[in-house]
Amino acid sequence: MRPFNPLYILEVFFELLPFLPVTILILAGSVFFGSLLGFILAKAKVSGRKTPRLLADTYTAMMRCTPPIVLLFIVYYGLPELLLSTLGLDINNIEKGIFVLVTYTLLFGATMSEIMRSSYESIDKGQWEAAVSIGLSPFQAFYRIMLPQATVVALPNFCNVLINLMKDGALAFTIGLIDVMGKGTLIISRNFGAYALETYIALALLYWGLTLIIENSFGMLEKTLSRGKRSIAD
Amino acid sequence: MELNVKFMIDTFFLALTGVPATLSITAAALIISAPIAFFMAISRIYNVKIIKQAVTAYVSFIRGTPVVLQILIIYSLLPSLFNTIIKSAGWNINVFDINPIIYAYIVFSLNTCAGLSEIFRSALLTVNKGQLEAALSIGMSPVQAYTRIIIPQALVSAIPNICNLTINLIKGTSLAFMMTVKEVTSIAKIAASYGYNYIEAYLDILIIYIILCSLVQILFALIEKYFGSYRAHPGSLAKAN
Repeated sequence: MRPFNPLYILEVFFELLPFLPVTILILAGSVFFGSLLGFILAKAKVSGRKTPRLLADTYTAMMRCTPPIVLLFIVYYGLPELLLSTLGLDINNIEKGIFVLVTYTLLFGATMSEIMRSSYESIDKGQWEAAVSIGLSPFQAFYRIMLPQATVVALPNFCNVLINLMKDGALAFTIGLIDVMGKGTLIISRNFGAYALETYIALALLYWGLTLIIENSFGMLEKTLSRGKRSIAD
Repeated sequence: MELNVKFMIDTFFLALTGVPATLSITAAALIISAPIAFFMAISRIYNVKIIKQAVTAYVSFIRGTPVVLQILIIYSLLPSLFNTIIKSAGWNINVFDINPIIYAYIVFSLNTCAGLSEIFRSALLTVNKGQLEAALSIGMSPVQAYTRIIIPQALVSAIPNICNLTINLIKGTSLAFMMTVKEVTSIAKIAASYGYNYIEAYLDILIIYIILCSLVQILFALIEKYFGSYRAHPGSLAKAN
């Protein structure tokens, strides 16, 4: 048996780094579009109108039960055919990142809507009433009073789902996207399957590092943003 | 877009034969990791030196890496490790005859340990310390105090989180196809590859997972109702008097 080569981990690590922007770009794109979708869903959930609420709840419940890899493949195989048959649009040669983006937007939107809803509902209704009573418009009341408070409440959960999204994003290599994970599998096949363990360990360290960075920066952000907040601890 | 309905119905029932494998991985992971996770949680609560640091690092690593990588690492590490062990022990077993589901049990147990230990830790911390002191003061042994007083109360707050973890675990088992385990996803995928009916097959898988997860949620709602009797009601003391 070929001996384990710890030095190779380092070598692969630096070979993987140039592909980090792809991973981060997919992450950022999914967060952006997913948050937009989540906002619409959350609005439907708190609006009190029955049909939109039912639709949003059903969507969230379905997405909660969907393995990311299954949705990824449904989008990858289904979306081109759906667009071809309905709009006559041929997207078979489109960048693979688009499919990944669509998948994780759909998934992230569902979780995001729950976070937005719960954090919005955790804010005392009196805050809204007070804001409107001193003459702020509903938009101003939401934007200046509700949103900043809800953001602080949502931060820890947001950090969690962001990390989960990044980890789920590692599956994108299964449809052939070349992010860090995809590059890792390419390196392994370039070596004809040798050094697989070393490459996987390098990837694991990379993801672990990213997670720690995200966790710590959110911890600091939370500390800064909750400065004015009073809780039972003080 | 036209779906091949006949294929979809056939594959649906074919993929259903993978449900036992999916559920057995889920159940095995939960059963194996529950006691380990409990002791991991206890060692973190009681600040046991070295073990606490090791557990913290372990939980952080598992939390920080994708499941798919954990699978790939274990699956490229374990078979050759087993091979070396078996050869040096002189047993007459062929490593390649080991059912790959064993590797799935190991990976998902390792993964679940980390999540479950965090859930147990936060659940145990919600129980008032006075409960333990009261149990010890009336002459219960620490083991009795834990099994009869602390754990039932902690479970009440842990159950919703355990439900979440179980659902994520079931979703995660869809990756076991990478270890050539014959579960829902891999069976449907193989059926699809004959005629390139991937959309139908994946929709089947989706439906099965939605059914499975819905059943798990109903099951946990029932368990929560059952354990709800242990919940401390603020008014219950007054009523008893």
